Amino acid sequence: MILFKRLILALQLLTAAWFLLFGARQTQTIPSNVIVVEYWEKWVGAEADQMRLIVDDFNRTVGTDKHIRVRYLSMSKLDQKLLIASAASVPPDIAGLWDPQTAEFASLGAVEPLDELAARHGIDARTYKTVYWDACHYQGKLWALPNTPACVALLYNKAIFRSSAEKLRAAGLDPQRPPRTLDELDRYAKALDVIDSAGRIRRAGYLPMEPGWYVDFTPVWFGGSLFDAKTDRFTLDSPQNVAAFEWIASYSKRLGSTAMVEFHDAAGGFDSPQNSFLTGEVAMEQQGPWMANYFYRLTHQTPWVSTIAETKVPHERENELADRRDNCDWAAAPFPSALPHAENVTICSVDTLVIPRGARHPDAAFEFMAYLARQDVMEKLCTLHCKSSPLREVSPEFLTHHPNPYISVFEAISASPNARFAPQTPMWEQLKKELDDATQSVSRLDADPRAALASAQERLQGKWDRQRRIDTLRGSAQP
Amino acid sequence: MTRTDLRNLVKGLAFVSPWLIGFSIFLATPIGLSFYYSLCDYPLARPPMYIGAQNYRWLLHDPLFWRGMRNTAYYAAMALPAGMLVSLGLALLLNAKVWGQGLFRTIIFLPSLIPAVASAMLWLWVFNSKLGLFNHLLGKIGIAGPQWLGADWAMPSLALMSVWGVGNTVVIYLAGLQDVPADLLEAAEIDGAGRWRKLWSVTIPLLSPVIFFNLIMALIGMVQTLTVPYIMTGGGPNNATYFYTMYLYDNAFRYVHMGYASAMAWIQLLVILSLTGIAFWSGRRWVHYQS
Repeated sequence: MILFKRLILALQLLTAAWFLLFGARQTQTIPSNVIVVEYWEKWVGAEADQMRLIVDDFNRTVGTDKHIRVRYLSMSKLDQKLLIASAASVPPDIAGLWDPQTAEFASLGAVEPLDELAARHGIDARTYKTVYWDACHYQGKLWALPNTPACVALLYNKAIFRSSAEKLRAAGLDPQRPPRTLDELDRYAKALDVIDSAGRIRRAGYLPMEPGWYVDFTPVWFGGSLFDAKTDRFTLDSPQNVAAFEWIASYSKRLGSTAMVEFHDAAGGFDSPQNSFLTGEVAMEQQGPWMANYFYRLTHQTPWVSTIAETKVPHERENELADRRDNCDWAAAPFPSALPHAENVTICSVDTLVIPRGARHPDAAFEFMAYLARQDVMEKLCTLHCKSSPLREVSPEFLTHHPNPYISVFEAISASPNARFAPQTPMWEQLKKELDDATQSVSRLDADPRAALASAQERLQGKWDRQRRIDTLRGSAQP
Repeated sequence: MTRTDLRNLVKGLAFVSPWLIGFSIFLATPIGLSFYYSLCDYPLARPPMYIGAQNYRWLLHDPLFWRGMRNTAYYAAMALPAGMLVSLGLALLLNAKVWGQGLFRTIIFLPSLIPAVASAMLWLWVFNSKLGLFNHLLGKIGIAGPQWLGADWAMPSLALMSVWGVGNTVVIYLAGLQDVPADLLEAAEIDGAGRWRKLWSVTIPLLSPVIFFNLIMALIGMVQTLTVPYIMTGGGPNNATYFYTMYLYDNAFRYVHMGYASAMAWIQLLVILSLTGIAFWSGRRWVHYQS
């Protein structure tokens, strides 16, 4: 028995010795005069890999010159992990968030203001498009810098427009162009709908809930807003917002809520060959510029889909822009507004970079952020991500060689004075939950738009007033 | 205490110290802290600020708190009896000496080995209103199936789905059934008891401690329901499946109201303790332990 015990002990010691001698160890030594900047990014998958290329570029060039090495780590649920790391006083030096989170993180004191650092690097309101620059501010301070942005346009299927030309003409509509007003959009949608004898939707001209990513922001196209910073009150039940939600409900009333839910249930995943826009089950939808990348990738996987695939030439970027546009069976246009004379209305959002409070190397971190604000670097990343640029200045090459041949549409709408961004409020997550609930119940015709928004407004304002009282108790109403 | 007693005590404490230290650091301390945080405003990135019982008062006036409570109770009222009855019924069937007994037991147990996320994705398709298996089969007999995950049917659908994973409970019942003395069953048979009488008057009473155990575990599980509905419905539509634990999770990790979430956790604990207490109180009447 004693021998057995000793044998076990010897085995354990041997295992420990093996791990000590041959176990995991640091493979790359970093010189002591190099500052290591920890960068946590929320992107995973292709977008994360594309950002890694930019980080590698920086480390090879500016980083080497300035003795800075950016260590890049992509992860999901970054916002939660960042708060926990900050609470434990071990935050990274840079973190990637979204613009609606700016106010929340700023009010929590979880991120550093960047005004001074930005001024030192010559970065100001003239660097970025107004909508993205403003989205990085909260209560007059700059808390983040834009990374790659997003804005929403109308994507429409030219092949369906062509094949339904007679129906469109019969409805008094031009099959050669997209709708220009919201009323026109409704008429196009109705003309392009294909409903079977059982009342099921075989093809939808347009559906507010398909894919429904931006349906919460529908009030933007009706001149509405969700929060009034001047009165410090949410404005969910304003007449413009009610009108927007009534418009959402009008589609359910026309097509039947059951048919819409069935259609939505049966729709394939966004990043799949069954994507309903790709398969031609939806003729028009609200989407961002990145869809072009998905089209290229997914259509090549789906030879049976002919409605969207580039029919003549694959996306050879050296071709003339006009040819590239002709080769696509889809096109993009500004999403029409309900307001007369309001052009290029859109909702924008932007991935942001922040320096968490307690970061060890804020100056070195900002060197990387400033590097990303360079036109050549930003255009490279935005081209890889298939997005428009957040910068005010855009090179002609960016517009002509971008994988999305309609990127100029997205550039124009994001530079427009009618471009809006999510309200800057620390209650963003609660606001989103209330809006999601309201759109869901309204689109299913479970609730009247006015009543749904009124009850959401009451709940949300109650929580906001409560939060204000706590802030007053803390003596920290201002970040 | 002699020197030997003292030495033995030190040795004993040394042996249990890994557990004691682990329990103190990873369980007792967080439990104590969570109670303190429940009396604080604690947005994680800032230090907790004591606000007394304010979180509890706010909870009482929070419609989503009550919605979560109601939804959880509604789900438990359906899923708990269904799960208990189905698992007991299956255990009784699987206890029968028939050909392929082992195979049947494996088939019943298999679903409980499937990860919750995978089974949720699978059932999403089963419940799909247009392409789902249920509506396809109903369509074959001329019935237009409902929207299984719509506002009216979502909760019964989730309760139905919960029955799918009763394999663990069935195994516990099966173990309990092996302890029912054959001589008692034979004696009852000699006294003229039929199959149902033997089940009702011998098997069930002798199995009652196992039923009681499963009841307590199921109660705790129901109150803590989160993963599957979170994946399948996200609490929708229109909060129809917004469970108590979802709201707790949202408050803790989405809205970063750790104090509010801690207060919810303590109320949840009180609910579980109360339900368990009621179960123990009622158990005195129907749980029979073999002396």
